Amino acid sequence: MKAPKLGLAAAVAAALVLSACSSGQDEDKDSSASGGDHKDIKICMYTHGDGGGFWSVAKKGAEQAAEDLGVTLDYQESNNDPEAQAQFIEAGIDGGCDGIAVSAPNPDAIQSAMDKANDAGIPLVTMNSGSDSFQDLHAFTHVGQDEFIAGQAAGEKFKELGATKVLCPIQEPNNIGLQQRCDGAKDTFGNVENLQLSKGLADLNQSEAEIQAKLEADPTIDAVFSLNADIATGSAMPAVDAVGRDITIGTVDLSGDAVQAIKDGKMAFAIDQQQYAQGYLPVVLLYLNKINGHVLGGGKPMYTGPGFVTQDNADQVQKLAEAGTR
Amino acid sequence: MTTFDEIPEPELPPPPEDVTPALQLKNVGKSFGSVIALRDISLHVDPGTVTCVLGDNGAGKSTLIKILSGVHQPTEGEFFVNGEPASFSSPRDALGAGIATVFQDLATVPLMSVWRNFFLGNEPRVGIAPFTFLDTRKAKKVCREELLAMGIDIRDLEQPVGTLSGGERQAVAIARAVYFGAKVLILDEPTSALGVRQSGVVLKYIINARQAGVAVVFITHNPHHAHMVGDRFYLLNRGRMTNEFERKTVTREELVKAMAGGAELEALAHELEGANVR
Amino acid sequence: MTATSTPTAQPQTDERLATTSWLTRLLRRPELGALMGAVVIYVMFSAADTTGVFATITGTARWTDYASGVGIVAVPVALLMIAGEFDLSSGVMVGTSGLLCGVLTTEYGWAMWPAIAATFAFAAVIGLINGWLVMLTGLPSFIVTLAMFFSLRGINLGATKSITGTVRVAGLRDVPGYDSASKIFSSTFWHPYDYRIAVVWWIGITILATVVLSRTRFGNWIFAVGGDANAARNTGVPVRRTKITLFVMTQLAAALVGIISLTRLASMQAGQGVGQEFTYIIAAVVGGCLLTGGYGSPIGASIGAAIIGMAFIGITYAGWNSDWLYLFLGVILFAAVLVNTLIGKRAAGARK
Repeated sequence: MKAPKLGLAAAVAAALVLSACSSGQDEDKDSSASGGDHKDIKICMYTHGDGGGFWSVAKKGAEQAAEDLGVTLDYQESNNDPEAQAQFIEAGIDGGCDGIAVSAPNPDAIQSAMDKANDAGIPLVTMNSGSDSFQDLHAFTHVGQDEFIAGQAAGEKFKELGATKVLCPIQEPNNIGLQQRCDGAKDTFGNVENLQLSKGLADLNQSEAEIQAKLEADPTIDAVFSLNADIATGSAMPAVDAVGRDITIGTVDLSGDAVQAIKDGKMAFAIDQQQYAQGYLPVVLLYLNKINGHVLGGGKPMYTGPGFVTQDNADQVQKLAEAGTR
Repeated sequence: MTTFDEIPEPELPPPPEDVTPALQLKNVGKSFGSVIALRDISLHVDPGTVTCVLGDNGAGKSTLIKILSGVHQPTEGEFFVNGEPASFSSPRDALGAGIATVFQDLATVPLMSVWRNFFLGNEPRVGIAPFTFLDTRKAKKVCREELLAMGIDIRDLEQPVGTLSGGERQAVAIARAVYFGAKVLILDEPTSALGVRQSGVVLKYIINARQAGVAVVFITHNPHHAHMVGDRFYLLNRGRMTNEFERKTVTREELVKAMAGGAELEALAHELEGANVR
Repeated sequence: MTATSTPTAQPQTDERLATTSWLTRLLRRPELGALMGAVVIYVMFSAADTTGVFATITGTARWTDYASGVGIVAVPVALLMIAGEFDLSSGVMVGTSGLLCGVLTTEYGWAMWPAIAATFAFAAVIGLINGWLVMLTGLPSFIVTLAMFFSLRGINLGATKSITGTVRVAGLRDVPGYDSASKIFSSTFWHPYDYRIAVVWWIGITILATVVLSRTRFGNWIFAVGGDANAARNTGVPVRRTKITLFVMTQLAAALVGIISLTRLASMQAGQGVGQEFTYIIAAVVGGCLLTGGYGSPIGASIGAAIIGMAFIGITYAGWNSDWLYLFLGVILFAAVLVNTLIGKRAAGARK
């Protein structure tokens, strides 16, 4: 009776070790393919990412930077679990990270982990979220897009396009960054109204219905500032089609469908926060700090956006989006 | 081949006389909604005797047991324990009054060990409240002794009860009931799933309990087993009590015939004769 | 046939009895498979480790951190499973309790300790509701607690949104009593390794549960109620009381993890804990609990939690993507159920 148990355990272990060896080998190959040989430098990036379309691009950026510089990368995503993210950071501190980059949507949660990292003398950078709190977290700079500034740029763009009233649908209730985008647009444009979507990304049909209802109820709205590419193509565009008025649509973040829509003229612009660079740059910054003691950024955040994708550059961007790097 | 009459019967010592019945039902009935499971049941069970309740499946035996053991309450009639009216709201209540029931599924938990099953619901404890712990040593010791007294030697008391044979499991259940001071022991079809030899062993325990002064209620659909050990026999059919016999007044054959619906069988036999079926 | 019978078998000699039962008793223990698995997995992750830190005191401090968050709830979940019931609302309660305590302190000005007491009281009430509903309706606990899971999840979002405007509570460091609370619930000890105090809570709860299960009358009832509730009821075991108590214990443990989390992060997010209910069940099953009840072990569940903690850190230290953790959990669950079925067959009588 003991043999099957042991056999099973051994088989499971063997399977896992084999898969590990094979994936480990691939990583070795990638890292030594190009760039210098600084394999002893370990750069760690611990984000709150969920492996979706947005974060896979950021991860690609980090991996490419590690390959280009010849360093080792430890990239882990906590899937929006702040405790897991704190645990990754602490594990990284003990696991020999020479530099740590984190996203900080919830700075309180990772504060003590970051204190610990700082006490251990590890250089720190924040990326994607946390532009207001990176100094408290002992990071020397922040790499990302300031949501308020992005909103301001969108507001300017809507003005340029001749809109008079903008609707700003918010798809996630717990995301302060989204709120800031709408606030920024309001700052430069003025006549902006927010709309809280009940299901958001979870139910694009429901979101479409809610947007459509609002557009029908208020005929003075002639522009929609979507805060997510899927909301734009999946909810805002069909809602606008159904209503039949001439409504300008702009969005934040990219997707294949969004770029196509811009090419076809159905969407006016997309604000690209260029998350590939949010993954790439922190690796470079931490690497430079390690080998040459550079502390870059001047104590201020570094912006990766807002970059605009319009009909003018849509073609080029589309090719890159298909490659998974935009 | 010997006929039934030639198979010897055990010589049981006579039961005690003129005692208050340990259990008595007077005109008891039980309905579940519009279904009448039992109607007008009157019986009494005396200490030191074996009372057999016979009946085929569907006769109402299980409902009767559930009333006697406290699972159900009768919807009509009166229920007396030792001459006093009684009403039980749960099996725990009935246990408290000294009525122990060994159900067909034995009320043992197959995955638990023999000693844990033996003391289930009556666990011995040591220590001062609230820090009371199981007195494991005493439990195992007593369990071993009681089982040996029943003639069973279970080597490892830690083994799960599910690994015991059917007869051994019955023995554990009966030994448990007797040990915990049952004055009335109700056995629900104890021999139905057992072979000849194991049945013999169980019937022996029944007689032991009778000798110890326990009032045994033996529910069965096997009239042969019943007649081996019973002092009094009640026959149940479709929720009613159809016959009552004393040991002295009924032979085994008569009992079998009564159970099998003797009059109906005779009528059927006449019919078939008339139709010339060979 | 005589009326009296005499015992014919003689008792075995003592030495013989001792040796056989020691070995068979060991083999019969539900934790054995989990322990062997844990050793194999520990060795595997030590071998795959790129940092050289996994198999050290420091590395152990890191994986016990994650394991304690699973283990504290997995232990009462194991007891509940032995009693034949499930609690799918245990994960979301971690978030609910953290949010409740956070809202009471940051929005309504309560001090930390009264808020913590109120949170535990609330968790006990939810446990009572779970237990009563299951016993009253006779519905499978899987369904009843699933309904509770959705209800709590909705309340987490809705109540917090309407009270705070966001779905997060933060700013606990300034609450009076926070410092003492974080000392009890989320401090670290043994510099420089920094073991979390949650590990002490975890070990304490495991010991308590083991003692209760194997050495008290209540523990006997837990086995009985899960092995055969009818038999237990007919023998006079208070089935309702036993099960309801275990539902309450599970929710209290989840609240404890919620408070530990809240004081560690000085904040709490609405979605926290959602999904963990299955991790607790995996830990319990890996530790030897039968899904049908009546058999299992809190030590086993803790070993299961340890395995999960080892995987979380081990996967990171091996340089793999942490997404592999889910695959790992799936594989060990499958392997554990397979092994448990073999054990179950043995325990139910295939021995002879």
